[in-house]
Amino acid sequence: MKAFKYLSPKTVEEAIAFHGQHSETSKFIGGGTDVIVKLKEGWMEPDFLISLKKIEEMSELHKNEATQELSIGAMVTHATLEKSLMIQNDYPIIYDAVSNIGSLQVRNVGTIGGNLINAVPSADGAIPLIALDGVALLHGPDGERSCDVKDIFVAPYKTILKPGEILKKIAIPPQASNTGSAYIKFGRRAAMELPLIGIGVLLTLDETKEICIKARICLGVAAPVPMRAFGAEKLLVGKKINEEILIEAGKIAADESKVRDSVRGKAWHRKEMIRVHVRRIGLKCLEIIKNNS
Amino acid sequence: MSKSNSDFSVVGKRIPKLDAAQKAMGRAEYIQDIKLPGMLYGRILYSKYAHANIVKIDTSKAVALSGVHAVLTGEDVPEKMKMGFIKDNPPIKKGKVCSFRDEVAAVAAISPEIAKKALDLIEIEYEEQIGIFDPEKAMEKDSPLVHGHLKSNVLKMPWDIHYGDVEKAEKESAFVVEDRFTTQWVTHCCLGTSGAIALFDANDNLTIHTNTQIPSLAQKDFLESLKAMGLENKRVRVIKPIIGGGFGSKLDTYAYEHIAILLAHKCRKPVKIAFDRVEEFKATSTRQPTIIYIKQGCDKNGKLTFRDMRMVLDNGAHTSWGATTPSVMLMPISSLYRVENVKYVAKCVYTNNTYSQAMRGYGNPQATFAIESSMDMLAEKAGIDRIEIRRINRNQSGDETPQGLKITTCGLEECIDAVEKELKFDGKNEKGVGTGIASLIHVGGGARIYGSDGCGAILKMDDYGKVDVFTGGTDMGQGLDNIIAQIVAEELGLLAEDINVVHSDTDICPWDVGAHASRSTFVAGNAALGAAKKVKQKIQKFASKLFDVPAEKIEFKDKLVFVPGDQEKSMPLGKLLRKAHFSPGGTMLMAEYFYDPDNQNMGKELKGNMSMTYSFGAHGAKVKVDEETGKVEVLEYVAAHDVGRAINPLLLEGQVYGGVVMGLGYALTEEVTVKDGEIMNANFRDYKLFTAKDAVKIKAPIIETDDKDGPFGAKGIGEPGCVPTAPAIANAIYDAVGVRIKDLPITPEKVLVALKKKND
Repeated sequence: MKAFKYLSPKTVEEAIAFHGQHSETSKFIGGGTDVIVKLKEGWMEPDFLISLKKIEEMSELHKNEATQELSIGAMVTHATLEKSLMIQNDYPIIYDAVSNIGSLQVRNVGTIGGNLINAVPSADGAIPLIALDGVALLHGPDGERSCDVKDIFVAPYKTILKPGEILKKIAIPPQASNTGSAYIKFGRRAAMELPLIGIGVLLTLDETKEICIKARICLGVAAPVPMRAFGAEKLLVGKKINEEILIEAGKIAADESKVRDSVRGKAWHRKEMIRVHVRRIGLKCLEIIKNNS
Repeated sequence: MSKSNSDFSVVGKRIPKLDAAQKAMGRAEYIQDIKLPGMLYGRILYSKYAHANIVKIDTSKAVALSGVHAVLTGEDVPEKMKMGFIKDNPPIKKGKVCSFRDEVAAVAAISPEIAKKALDLIEIEYEEQIGIFDPEKAMEKDSPLVHGHLKSNVLKMPWDIHYGDVEKAEKESAFVVEDRFTTQWVTHCCLGTSGAIALFDANDNLTIHTNTQIPSLAQKDFLESLKAMGLENKRVRVIKPIIGGGFGSKLDTYAYEHIAILLAHKCRKPVKIAFDRVEEFKATSTRQPTIIYIKQGCDKNGKLTFRDMRMVLDNGAHTSWGATTPSVMLMPISSLYRVENVKYVAKCVYTNNTYSQAMRGYGNPQATFAIESSMDMLAEKAGIDRIEIRRINRNQSGDETPQGLKITTCGLEECIDAVEKELKFDGKNEKGVGTGIASLIHVGGGARIYGSDGCGAILKMDDYGKVDVFTGGTDMGQGLDNIIAQIVAEELGLLAEDINVVHSDTDICPWDVGAHASRSTFVAGNAALGAAKKVKQKIQKFASKLFDVPAEKIEFKDKLVFVPGDQEKSMPLGKLLRKAHFSPGGTMLMAEYFYDPDNQNMGKELKGNMSMTYSFGAHGAKVKVDEETGKVEVLEYVAAHDVGRAINPLLLEGQVYGGVVMGLGYALTEEVTVKDGEIMNANFRDYKLFTAKDAVKIKAPIIETDDKDGPFGAKGIGEPGCVPTAPAIANAIYDAVGVRIKDLPITPEKVLVALKKKND
């Protein structure tokens, strides 16, 4: 591993300024669960590592009681999310995703922002944030801008972030009542696992609790970047939700996916798992809605 | 009369591992931790092709790099320096590479980083050749050859065995089943990666610190290397540091050890080569993969009539112990259950794949997967209950099997009973849930693979009632030190912590053939027990003068030497020892003992009682199969073993748990994925070793049969835990959803394909 200087700015502005001084030779580091591996393997050889750990606002997790908007700092660790009762109760889809990332040790240091910015097709953290219509707040040399979480990803390991730009936080808009959400990582092991396929579903029903007024079906590892199965979502909206229609949605989602064969798993099996789990997770959402009322 | 555990004060006790604290605190010194003054770091460059000619190697840039002390290629390796039991593998290849793990160059430099950089500067021009990756295709007449100087890819091996009359027995059978099974490459996954440090003294004597399970046999390999280097009549000292797992991986010497020797000699400095994880996956050996054809039959009552097995083993490009696993496969094939007529043919075939090694069970898990899957198929065809067919054919004490194995004690029936007691086998499980059973036989009293199966022990009493035991045996994490301490402490009336076990330094410790074949408790245990008995006699003799009673009246307990019933005649052992040492004309209390069991080498007819006794076991699994995803969840697992006697039930259970989890990985998730000879998943992310979260609750009933030859009745139990795991799972899956998976590992994809096929 090449030697580097470790910088610990206390504000986002300071971090961006550091980067500006050494733009070609510096890298940001969050929890380090991906960056350290890249450094050790020699895939990344910066002279300066700019740690975002000391920037307090980036580690904040809070829900605005007035607006009901949830704000997740990019440096919030998976473990913090996993242990938060508010997340467990109000955003089960986030809990499902982060509580199965890596191992306890990885979750203690790995951050939700890093999970997004690393931009692997299998990022567990991306799926719930997309399903919840999360908005990413970016801050760079040219100031702040925002975009939908789903639009962060360009290609594997590639995001829309410009050099020197930092993902500061993710804002989750208020959730409508009668909403249920859940995620499943389908893999071969119970820990230290990348999903063979990741499936997140969010359903909002009308006040009769029968008709779907909003649906999100989000898939990981189903395409080069996390994707939404728009066709399957469209099928559900405005319809009465039951097992039959969820089976149909599963089929459509599987067809919409762009799964591939890899060393880790076969495309046909991944498709099959999308088909099966859209129904299963959809039913779980209905149960959550039922239990919450 | 056999003893019960209450007759013992140290044996049979759950004493935690004596080195547990230092390991848990990070104080144990592994090869990675050892730094010698002036030490250089070696690194190996591997082939870029599965099969190619080396046209040109240019090392000039690497040689010129500052900090590089030596660069070696195949040209620098003495002609006669070769590895493996048929010596077909030079540590660095010259002119040609036959697999991706073939070594093509090596460097020594002042830091690992510079060594790595130097490798990048070595320029090699290859001329790629057609690779052969399918052993069955490699057997065909017109197949390209892996080694051009040989006439065929098939190795000359003796595995063509026929006991009784299989053809006749088949004709007379009421029911016959036949099928093909395949098993995959898996690897040991030692958490401590491989490594060695070699250094020469001024007189060209070698000291090598290396991760080995065979200090004495490795010493022989290294002496041969020195001889090939022109260094005759030199000494080799092998020191094994604490190692993080062996599982058979360290039963042969590897290229990195011989390369470290070459580099150290060239540089006149200590040279360390330590693998990273990727290298560990790519450049160490696997379990022997197999293609198995099995046919077996029974009469109308379910009694086995014959077993006919044929195997093709992918030998890879070079030969190590993987090619000899048929010698152990023969044991379950000929002797798991009573079967008189047995045929076994195995062919090892060169390919351009990686080569295999010994791995826990040494072929037994592969053979048992086929046998025990086939047993269930036979039971079904004959309309006999799966437990019943196993009871009908069970091995029994006093049996001699067609191979000539003499079963002294056999607790197989009790093991089957224990499994049946814990799990339901009535077929009345809920949908998608099923149970499976599979049994095992394994060597439990040493195994005469070499001319000797012996192990030495030296025992030295100090002035304070403490004991040093110098054993030939190797502790590689399995806990042999504890076992020896408990055996010696029991014999001398001491506590386990009074015994210091010194192992794995060939300058200090006596000879041994290595930690393999589940032999250490039995053989090293008996050697230590023999030495303890000898020293005990010496103490008795000394005390008999002191107490003025016949020597045989003197007993040892609670650190005291005493005459029962006579309170006057009692003395702390330490005090007695001081008297022995300090008296005029004093005596030193030491003893040595060499235990070589009375077992037999298999001769040319491949018959013989290879072990003094055999361990038995039965495993039962309850699984739940998700019929939509193909995923198998193990709900309950029972692993019952006849262990003779548990010297330390805590460690024994640890061996069983570890073995079962290893076996579950073999059954369900683990596979070295190989594409045209190249390993595609050389990391723990993609090589699906079970994690702690995947591990299941395991019940491990211990059946004690008090074997007459074992130390305090004990048999070996190092390997059995992973032997029948895969067939127990496969049989449970069949019970659950009616599909039989014959190709390991049983992945969700395979289960789903089979279910779809069944439902179509």
